[in-house]
Amino acid sequence: MKFVISREALLRPLQLVAGVVEKRQTLPVLSNVLLQVRGQQLSLTGTDLEVELIGRVTLDEVGIEGEITVPGKKLMDICRSLPDGAQLEIALEDQRVNVRSGRSRFTLSTLPATEFPNVDSVGEEKTFAMSQQVLRRAIDRTSFAMAQQDVRYYLNGMLFEVGQDSLRTVATDGHRLATCRVDISGPDEARQIILPRKGVLELAKLLTDADVSVTLAFSANHLRAHTENFSFTSKLVDGKFPDYTRVIPKNGTNVLIANRQELRQVFARTAILSNEKYRGVRLLLSTDILQVFANNPEQEEAEESVGVHYNGASLEMGFNVSYLQDVMSVIATENVKMTLSDANSSALLEEPEGGDSVYVVMPMRL
Amino acid sequence: MSKIHLLSPRLANQIAAGEVVERPANIVKELVENALDAGARRIEVDAEQGGVKLLRVRDDGCGIEQDDLALALSRHATSKITTLDDLEAVMTMGFRGEALASISSVSRLTLTSRFEQAEQAWQVTAEGRDMQTSVAPAAHPQGTTVEVRDLFFNTPARRKFLRTEKTEFGHLEEHLKKLALSRYDVAFTLRHNNRVIHQLRVADRGIEQERRVATLLSPDFIDHAIHVDTEAAGLQLKGWVALPTYSRSQTDMQYFYVNGRAVRDKLVVHAIRQAYRDVLYNGRHPAFVLYLELDPKLVDVNVHPTKHEVRFRDGRLVHDFLFRTLHQVLGNIRPQDQLAPASSSSLTAGVDSASAVGETRGFASGAVGNSEAANGLRLQTQAEPVRGIQAGEFRGQGGLPWQSSEPKPTPAAVAEQMNSYANLIRPLDSDTVPAAMAERPVLAGTAGFASPNDSVTSGNMATAVQTNTPVAFAGVAPAMPAGSADMPPLGFAIAQLHGIYILAENRQGLVLVDMHAAHERITYERLKAAVDRESVASQPLLVPQSMSVSEAEADAAEQYAAEFRALGVELARVGPESLLVRQIPVLLQQAPVTNLITDMLGDLIEHGSSDRILAHRNELLATMACHGSVRANRRLSVAEMNALLRDMEATERSGQCNHGRPTWTQLSMAELDKLFLRGR
Repeated sequence: MKFVISREALLRPLQLVAGVVEKRQTLPVLSNVLLQVRGQQLSLTGTDLEVELIGRVTLDEVGIEGEITVPGKKLMDICRSLPDGAQLEIALEDQRVNVRSGRSRFTLSTLPATEFPNVDSVGEEKTFAMSQQVLRRAIDRTSFAMAQQDVRYYLNGMLFEVGQDSLRTVATDGHRLATCRVDISGPDEARQIILPRKGVLELAKLLTDADVSVTLAFSANHLRAHTENFSFTSKLVDGKFPDYTRVIPKNGTNVLIANRQELRQVFARTAILSNEKYRGVRLLLSTDILQVFANNPEQEEAEESVGVHYNGASLEMGFNVSYLQDVMSVIATENVKMTLSDANSSALLEEPEGGDSVYVVMPMRL
Repeated sequence: MSKIHLLSPRLANQIAAGEVVERPANIVKELVENALDAGARRIEVDAEQGGVKLLRVRDDGCGIEQDDLALALSRHATSKITTLDDLEAVMTMGFRGEALASISSVSRLTLTSRFEQAEQAWQVTAEGRDMQTSVAPAAHPQGTTVEVRDLFFNTPARRKFLRTEKTEFGHLEEHLKKLALSRYDVAFTLRHNNRVIHQLRVADRGIEQERRVATLLSPDFIDHAIHVDTEAAGLQLKGWVALPTYSRSQTDMQYFYVNGRAVRDKLVVHAIRQAYRDVLYNGRHPAFVLYLELDPKLVDVNVHPTKHEVRFRDGRLVHDFLFRTLHQVLGNIRPQDQLAPASSSSLTAGVDSASAVGETRGFASGAVGNSEAANGLRLQTQAEPVRGIQAGEFRGQGGLPWQSSEPKPTPAAVAEQMNSYANLIRPLDSDTVPAAMAERPVLAGTAGFASPNDSVTSGNMATAVQTNTPVAFAGVAPAMPAGSADMPPLGFAIAQLHGIYILAENRQGLVLVDMHAAHERITYERLKAAVDRESVASQPLLVPQSMSVSEAEADAAEQYAAEFRALGVELARVGPESLLVRQIPVLLQQAPVTNLITDMLGDLIEHGSSDRILAHRNELLATMACHGSVRANRRLSVAEMNALLRDMEATERSGQCNHGRPTWTQLSMAELDKLFLRGR
């Protein structure tokens, strides 16, 4: 195996592929990436047995065909630290891979390509295409609410609900929930899948903002996404996601509309003096005034007051300020709408003109 | 099937013996308990071949009347109770009326006794299938002797289960230890194969009692023990608990007595473990000798034939009392309490009169005077009924036995030998001793125990005024009396060693402090206090978490709903065996809540209370404290180090870090001198 490639051409796919590779491994081959040369095409594969990512690069000239695995992180670091515009010559010699560029020369250990695991996909696939930009938006608007290492394993991921004309993403960690609905022309059959957290984050990384297409394919226990340069495969989480429709409050009567940036800054300032462990702030609502209070174990206090549009009942509620901040950062409109019913019920946050996303945050009893 | 018939008396007794008599040690327990119930002041136990060949228990109690002798060996015969009411409020060790009958059914038993008013003694034996008794005249001083020979001679199956002589005697000794620790007003002698193993004199005074504990357990234990004496809500707890640094790898040094009866009770063990949790090194066990006194009506000892288990009518109260008392005692250990002043033999003069007061207070009562000279083990200088801590146990801090070193040379002798040295040391000990004694902080426990403020106003300890005013549980020990020595207990920092240890100079010598461990504990206690000040914040769950439990657990969840709510947990029962967690404490958001709740339900069912949430919270705070404390290799200025030392003096449990490691140790001048062979 031998090929020549420019640093820039190799770096981006390599970075994405190496992102899938876990840092600490018990199975040595999993810390490697698989390099394959077929004619003018080089493909790079990284996997952690749950998520597999294949990046493809077209070489300027035909290389010598072959396949081998090399340590992914080290190859990436070498590639990254070479000067701009450098040309790399990568060749397999005597079970070692030599990387040459200008006056630099590196020899990397290898493991045979046959040892590299394949994420096997079985069962028939339902395929449909959608815009990368739209899919990325659906993920980006909700992924922050995914749980991390929760014992309820199905919360450590994102629900994709595919219908004939829409795709809905839902993420929750049990305390707050985020959901986003986008229009697509989907498959005939509606389907719900849970993509694991890592899969969601890796998938979002390889999607571009351009209006180019991505093909999604579902099988019984895998999701595949194909773009021009990448093939992404992830196992699915086998579990029952909580019914999001029951979680979204519908009987809120007290509606608050506020300037998003202003509110965001208020939260950011009060958060400084909230309890660092559970970050509680108190919100006091009265007609057209929102007051935010925070205090910490050292008895330091923050108090903010902001003008809003509100004419509901007076309310006092506690919230985890991080949850509110997350929502404020992901919403893009000028104003934000918050619908409340009482101090113990969840709050509904959304864009005032009814955008595609809805956020639910549970209050905290302080 | 054969016909149904009545068992012969001997067989019936042998079956009963199966429950109680397993090995010679059980016999000793039964017989010594009988002797104690008879009001003996002296008990002698002779054993041969581990007690299998011969076991003789002789007492000077009230004895048994001639007419009763025959009855004494029959089953269900006792003088200890007569009515059910007696059983409910039983004060004697035994009451079942089975021991002698059981023992005599599996051995050759001779009972010799002289009643207090009788002119001569009588001897009784029981033999044969029907346990016919025969009474014969004998010579014996007042009291009773029970001689048990050839144990299990007629029950070979049991005999096979006996271990070696050494093992059996070990068990026997352990049982006698337990009994000897329960009654300080009785003298015990234990002989094995005609060799005296233990000879324990009557120990009325505190110092003698401590000596008995030291003999029976280990001198180290009492050196590292804190005296406890608390009374509240009709419960009284006395005894000694070892410092957390004196822990054991096994539960072998745990003696707990309920109304003088040694018990091994789950509830008690749980409460004590809980009290030690914050300070005990992982996987270690505390050592303690504790006496709980309460109204006999509130405890049921008739649970098990061997009476190892008891049942408290109000288990939760007992649990809380034990936990709170010990938690407070352990929390109030301060460096100054653990530092004894430099030795002073002039003290012993005044002490005897002080301890005389204690004598009248009877068993285990505080008022311990001191006489270091008498036992040479260590010195204590407190003269107050309750003290938080023994004077001399700071040795435990690093296991550096400065006090076990030879007595300090008198200043004069030093002067003769080494003038310069004398000059150096005099201001440190001899000259300042009387003053130091007077000003020494009163070694008080918590205010809740008693005497919040005893002040010793002169060097003469005998004039110490004793006050014993029990007040409710609250508050902590009084601060150091004003005008105390200008040198604080942990002294002043001199330097930092390798960025890890602080070296400080105090009156006794050199103090070494593990900077990270000490700071970690200070941060941790502060965090705990801060969190305690705030109300419990709870997070209702957007997606309630369901968990499957047993039906008993689900019942408990309903029964203890109020307790759960107070902790910020809300549970709803959605089926016979499933619960829904609707709300959790905010601090435990990331914790495995369902496991925690299952554990809590287990605790509640078992002990009626649970502190799992608190424990888990403390774990989180401990981690925060660990990250928020100065790490090794951080250079500290002298001012910073001094501030840390002052914080340690003021902080609860500052003797151990969060994980139970010691935080500081003392190297006394005497020890340092020894290293350099000075003053020899």
